[in-house]
Amino acid sequence: MNSLSDPRQAHTFRFVRRDYTDGVAELVYAFDDGPELIERIVFPDAPALAPDRSAAFEAALDLLHWVAGVSYYKAGVPAQIRVESCALDAATAAFLDALYLHGLGDFAYHNKLDLRGRIRFSVGVPQRAQAAQPRWELRSRLQRSYRGAAPTRSLPRRTLVPIGGGKDSLVSVEILKAAGEDATAVWVGNSPLIAACAERTGLPMLNIRRELSPLLFEYNKQGAYNGHIPVTAINSAILAVAALLYGFDAIAFSNELSSSSATLEYDGQPVNHQWSKSWEFECAFHDLLKSQVAADLDYFSLLRPLSELSVAERFAHTSRYDDVFSSCNRNFRILGPKPADRWCGQCPKCHFVFLALAPFMPKPRLLGIFGRNLLDDMSLAPAFDALMEYRDHKPFECVGEGIESRAALAALVQRAEWREDAIVARFAEEIAPQLGAGELALDALLAPSGEHRIPERLVRFVDAHR
Amino acid sequence: MTTKTFESGCCSHDARECRTNKENLLSSTDASVSRAAATTSARPWIVAKFGGTSVSTRARWETIARIAAEHHARGRNVLIVVSALSGITDMLKAIVESRGDEARCREAQVGIVERHHSLHCELQLPTRNALDGWLARLDQLIADPRRAQTALAWQAEVFALGELMSSTLGAAFLGAQGLATRWLDAREHLRAQPLANQNAWAHYLSATVPAAPDAAFAQALAARGEVFITQGFIARNGSGKTVLLGRGGSDTSAGCFGALLKAEQVEIWTDVPGMFSANPRVVPEARLLSRLDYEEAQEIATTGAKVLHPRALGPLRRAGVPLVIKDTNRPHLAGTEIRAAAADAAPCVKAISVRKGVTLVSMETVGMWQQVGFLADVFAEFKRHGLSVDLIGSAETNVTVSLDPSENLVNSDVLSALAADLARICRVKVIAPCAAITLVGRGMRALLHRLSSVLAEFGTLDVHMISQSSSNLNLTFVVDEALVDDLIPRLHALLIRSDALRVEDGAVFGPSWRQLAEDGAAPLRETWWRRERETLLRLAADASPRYVYSLDQVRVQARALMALPSPSGDRRESGFSVVDRWHYALKANPHPAILRALHEEGFAFECVSFAETEAVRATLPALPAEQILFTPNFAPQGEYAAALDIGVRVTLDALHPLMHWGELFAGKDIHLRVDLGVGRGHHDKVKTGGAGSKFGVALDQVDEFRALARQCGARIVGLHAHLGSGILDASHWRSVYAQLASLAERFSRIESLDIGGGLGVPSRPDETPLDLAALGEALAEVKHAYPQFALWMEPGRYLVADAGVLLARVTQTKRKGAINYVGIDAGMNSLIRPALYGAWHEIVNLSRLDEPLAAMVQVVGPICETGDVLGANRRLPECREGDVLLIAQTGAYGAVMASHYNLREPAAEVVLVSPSPRRGEGWGEGKS
Repeated sequence: MNSLSDPRQAHTFRFVRRDYTDGVAELVYAFDDGPELIERIVFPDAPALAPDRSAAFEAALDLLHWVAGVSYYKAGVPAQIRVESCALDAATAAFLDALYLHGLGDFAYHNKLDLRGRIRFSVGVPQRAQAAQPRWELRSRLQRSYRGAAPTRSLPRRTLVPIGGGKDSLVSVEILKAAGEDATAVWVGNSPLIAACAERTGLPMLNIRRELSPLLFEYNKQGAYNGHIPVTAINSAILAVAALLYGFDAIAFSNELSSSSATLEYDGQPVNHQWSKSWEFECAFHDLLKSQVAADLDYFSLLRPLSELSVAERFAHTSRYDDVFSSCNRNFRILGPKPADRWCGQCPKCHFVFLALAPFMPKPRLLGIFGRNLLDDMSLAPAFDALMEYRDHKPFECVGEGIESRAALAALVQRAEWREDAIVARFAEEIAPQLGAGELALDALLAPSGEHRIPERLVRFVDAHR
Repeated sequence: MTTKTFESGCCSHDARECRTNKENLLSSTDASVSRAAATTSARPWIVAKFGGTSVSTRARWETIARIAAEHHARGRNVLIVVSALSGITDMLKAIVESRGDEARCREAQVGIVERHHSLHCELQLPTRNALDGWLARLDQLIADPRRAQTALAWQAEVFALGELMSSTLGAAFLGAQGLATRWLDAREHLRAQPLANQNAWAHYLSATVPAAPDAAFAQALAARGEVFITQGFIARNGSGKTVLLGRGGSDTSAGCFGALLKAEQVEIWTDVPGMFSANPRVVPEARLLSRLDYEEAQEIATTGAKVLHPRALGPLRRAGVPLVIKDTNRPHLAGTEIRAAAADAAPCVKAISVRKGVTLVSMETVGMWQQVGFLADVFAEFKRHGLSVDLIGSAETNVTVSLDPSENLVNSDVLSALAADLARICRVKVIAPCAAITLVGRGMRALLHRLSSVLAEFGTLDVHMISQSSSNLNLTFVVDEALVDDLIPRLHALLIRSDALRVEDGAVFGPSWRQLAEDGAAPLRETWWRRERETLLRLAADASPRYVYSLDQVRVQARALMALPSPSGDRRESGFSVVDRWHYALKANPHPAILRALHEEGFAFECVSFAETEAVRATLPALPAEQILFTPNFAPQGEYAAALDIGVRVTLDALHPLMHWGELFAGKDIHLRVDLGVGRGHHDKVKTGGAGSKFGVALDQVDEFRALARQCGARIVGLHAHLGSGILDASHWRSVYAQLASLAERFSRIESLDIGGGLGVPSRPDETPLDLAALGEALAEVKHAYPQFALWMEPGRYLVADAGVLLARVTQTKRKGAINYVGIDAGMNSLIRPALYGAWHEIVNLSRLDEPLAAMVQVVGPICETGDVLGANRRLPECREGDVLLIAQTGAYGAVMASHYNLREPAAEVVLVSPSPRRGEGWGEGKS
C-alpha cells in the first residue's frame, strides 16, 4: 500500500479528511489506496477560536481542503473524485467543478489533456470508502451543507491584504492606507522578497506557512503530471480561514481587469492562465463565502476595474518600493541587492512590467529599478511582439492585454528620451503604421471601468486618478 | 591658566556658556602652553574636521578632545570643524519637506530634540541653556510663514541648526574636559560669493566660498584663543543671510578655514583609513593610497570615492596647505596625505573609481562639422534644464555627453523635457543605466602600453564612450552598469599584474583593505611545501623536473568542502550539508592516488571523456557506475553509447545527440547542460558560458530539447550549468543555482541541479581566498526556497591545485639588455598554463628560501618558443645553477596537460603520503 506508483494510473482521487489543532491545519488526500498526502498550513500565533465563529471556521476549513486538493489531484487526474470528509452541496460542487476545470486549463493545455467531462464533484452524502465517521459529526456537517446562506459572524472591520512582491498588491496597500483602513499585509510561503516588500508597507504583517506533502515530489519522480495550478484560489481559501481565525471582515486581493481575459483558445476552449484571478472566480468565491461561511466576510479585488497600465500608473506615484519589489516570475523566491537579482529581464513579466511603467516614470528611475534598458535590446523584439499580440499569441504569463502594450509603446514613441531605443523605434517604423489611431490611445485605458465588488467606502480611493 | 583661557569658555553667542574644569588632566598642559601666549600668532594652525558619526556619542567626543589636546600640547592652535549629529540633517530635511504634513514635521522635531537632549545627558554637561536656545530657534522656524513656500533662505536657516547645535554641545564638552575651547560662528568668517549662472537654489543651498590665506584673520583669531570649534556646511552671503555649502559641505568648510589660516595641515577624520586604489567594499585587495597630489585626489574624489568631498581641495591647493585623511578608530595609521605633486613623480595609475547611475545622452546630427553653433545650441539646452554635463565625446556627426546621477533625474521629468527640446535640433538617444569607470593617475598617456590587458577586458564589453582629459590624469570608460561589480575587481588585479598600478612603491601605496581589516601585516599563507622543504629538496636532487603532490593537502580541501557550512538554523540533522553530492572533476588531475583519496573522502566523479570514465573504473573497480557523471562536449556517438551501456550518468549539451541518435537515449535518464548566457572566469579561454562558448544548450533551445527528449523517450532528471573557473565570489553560484532552480520548476522530473565547479583558488599571496562560509550561506538560501532539488557541485582545480608543486633546477642564467633570465629544466612542455592562459604561479627559490630578494628576473624554460616563460618579472634571491625552484599551485592542469614538445620528457609525478617520508621510504608511486 505504501509503495508509490505512477499517479497517472490511479482511478480515484480521495479527499480523506482535514483537521485543525493549535494553529496547524492538516489537509489529507490520497490516490486510490496509496499513502496519504498530508499538506500542512501553519497559522502563526493563532488565537483560540472564538466560539461564535467555530461553525464558520469549520466551513472555511472544508472549503480550503477541497480547493487545495487541486495541487494533488493534478498529479494523476484520475477519472473519479471522491469526497470522504463530508458531503457537498450543489453550489459548492459546481464551484469546485469550475475551479478544477478552468484553474487547470493551462496545465491541461501543456499536458495535452482534455479535462472536460472528466472533473465531477458529486453532490450528496459523503462517499466513505471504509470506516465511518462518528455519526453526530457527520450529521452536523450535513445540516450545515444544506443551508442556503451563512449567518453573519460579527467580524471586526479589518482587512487582510495579500502581498505578492509585485506592483499590484503594493498599489492596493497604498489605496488602503490612503483610505485609512485597518489593514494587515499577509503572505503565504517563505519568500524573502515578499517579506521585504511587506515590511516596506509599514502595515502589520502576517506570514502563513504552507508545507506541501513531500510525497508530491516523490510522485513527480514517478511521472506525475506537473504544471500550473490555480494558486490564487488556494491562497484565497487559506485567507478565508485566516480571516475567521484572527478576525478580519475583508480580504482585498489585487487582480486587475486583464486577469479576466483568456490567454488563448485551445481546441475550442478559452484557456486563461490566471483563471483564479478572474472576475468569474472572484464572483464565485465571493458568493460561496457569503452563502457557506460568513455573510459579513467580504472577498474582493481592489484593482478589478483597473487595467494593468492604470495600476502601473498608480504604482509610479510612490518610489517607496522601487528597490524591493519584483514582478519577475523567475527570480521571485530569492532576494538580492542588485536589480538583476530581482528582475531576470528575460521573462514576459519583466518585459511587460518594464513597458507598462515606462510611460509613467522618469526613464532614469525605471532603468534604475531594472538595472538595464529592456527596450533597447533588439534581441527582445519577438518577446515584445508577443506582448503586443503581433504575429504571435499572448505568452502564458500574467501580463496585460495586447492593446495595453501597444498603447504603452505608442506613448513612448511620442517621448524623445525613448524614441530612439531599438524596440520603440522598430514599433514606430514597422508596427504603428498598421494600427488605427484609436488602438493606440493611452488615456482611454487608464480610467476605471467594468464591474467590481469593492466596498462602497473604498471605491473613491480606487477611482482617485493621478 | 591665563584669564584668556577662562574667558574662552564663553562663546560669542549670548545664550551660550561653557565651563572649564580646573581639576582635569589637561590643565597642566594648558598652563604650560599658555606661558607662550605672547607668541601665539606664531603658533601653526591645525584644522581638524569631524563628520556626523564622529560627534554622535560621548566616546567619540572624548576622541576629539584627545586629538585636539595632543595638537595643542605640541604647540599648535586648533580649529575643530564639525558636522551635525548623524541622522539630524535627514530629520531637518523632513521638516523642510513637510509642507502641510504637521504630523511628519512634529515627529521630526521631537526626534531632533530627543537626540540632542540625550547626547547632552551623555556628555554630562551642567547646563542646557545654549542648546535650548537653538531648539527654540527651531520652534520659531517651524512657525515661520516662509515654511509654507519652503523658501530657500528659510531652508538654509533650518539646516544650519544641525551644525550649530553639534558645535555648541562640543564646545561645552571640550571645556568641561579642561580644554579651553572657544565656540566660533563659521558664518562670521566664511563669506559666500555669487557665481555667474548660479541659480537661486545653488545660491542658498550649494554656495561657494572663496578662501585665500588671510594673515590678519589668523592673527586676530590667535589673539582670542588657541582651541576653537566651529560648524561645517554653513556660511553667509553678501547680505548677511545664512547659506549652505552643499553636499559634503563640512569638508569644504575645513578646506576654506585651512586656506584662510594657511594651516600647517588640514585633517579630515573619518571612519576609514584613507583613500584607496578602489572601493574597498568591492575590491578588498584595494590598497591604501599613502600619498596623492591635489589633482589626483581631486580626480579620485570626483569620480567615485566618497571619503572626501572634492570641493575641499581647491582652496588648499591654491594655498599650498596639505590635507590628511585619518581614521578616528585607528589614529596611529598614517592615512592618506594629499599635497603638491613631487617633481619627479613617475607615471602610475593610482586608483580605479566607479560612478554608477550615469546617464548618457547621445546626440546625432547630419553634418555637425559644418553647422556653426550646434554644440552651443545643444549645451544651451542642458543649461536651461539645469543639468550639468560631465564627460563629453564627440565625432563628426555625434556628440555624446554624460550626466551624473542626481535626485532630479530620477524623481522629476527633467530628462524627458530636455530630450524633447534637444529633439528639435538633433536625434537624441538616452543610454542608461551606465557606469563610468575611471583610471586615475598622473601621466596616463604614458601608461597606455601597459594597459593592454585592461583594454582587452573592455574589448569583450560594449563600451559606450571613452574619455581622456587633456589634464592627462584620467582615462574613463562608460559601460552598462550591470557589468561593473564583477569587472572592477578583475580590472584592479589586471592593473597590478600589468605593473600600471605599482603597488610595490611603498611611498604611494599602503596596505590593502583586507590586510588592514585583519589588523596588521597578513601572515604568509601557511603552505605544506614550506613545511616539507627538506623532503622536496631531496626529491629534486634525485630527479628534476618533477611534480610532487601532497595527498594530505587534497584531503584538507576535500574536507573543507564536505563540511561546507550552512546557516545554523538549518543544521537540524547532524551531517547536514547543503551540497548533496560532490563530484571531483578529474580532468584537473586524474592521478590514481588522488582519485583514491577523494573516493575515500566521499566524492563522486565527473568525467569529460570516456577514457576518463575508464580511468576512474580502473582505479576504483568497486565504484557504482551511477557515481560517475559523464559530461562530454562534442564527443562522438560511440562514447555516449559506451557510457550508457555501463550505466554512468550522461549529460547532453546539444540537440544533436537527441536529434540524430535518439534511439540511444530511449528509456534513459539524462542530464541537460544549459548555458545561462553569462560567461565568467579569469581568462577568455576558461570562460565556459556565454554566447562565445561552445558549451551547453542555449536557453532559447531548452524547449526544443525537451520536445526531442520526449519524442525519444528520454527522461530529463538533472540540469547542469558551469560558467567558468577561478571564481572567487560566492554570489556567483547563488545566482546560477537560483536560475537553474527556477528553470527546473518548468520541468516535471528534475531531481538534481548541478551548478558546476569553478571554485577559485587565489594565485597571488595577497588575493582573498573563496569564502566558504559565504558560499554555504548563499547556497542554503536557495536550497531553502527549492528544497525539492538535490544540489550537486563538481570542483576540480579547487581540490588539487594547492596540493601540487613543480620542482625544477636552474640550468643557466643570462643577462640580455636590461633583462635578467633564470633558465630552468622545466618548460611549457611540463606546465603550459602560463603560456596558454597567462596564468600566474608563485615561484620561489627553494634552495634559498630565506635569502634576500635580488633583481627582477624572467623565469624561462628550455623550449624553443618565445612564450616559454613560466614567470615574468619575479623577484627571487640571486639564483645559481643547480638551485631548486618551486612553482606552486601546479596540482591542477599541470602534468595532465604536459607534452613531449621538442621531444623533451615532461616532469614526472611523485605523491607524498603522510607521515612525512624519510629518505628512501614512503614515497608513493610515480605515474609513467
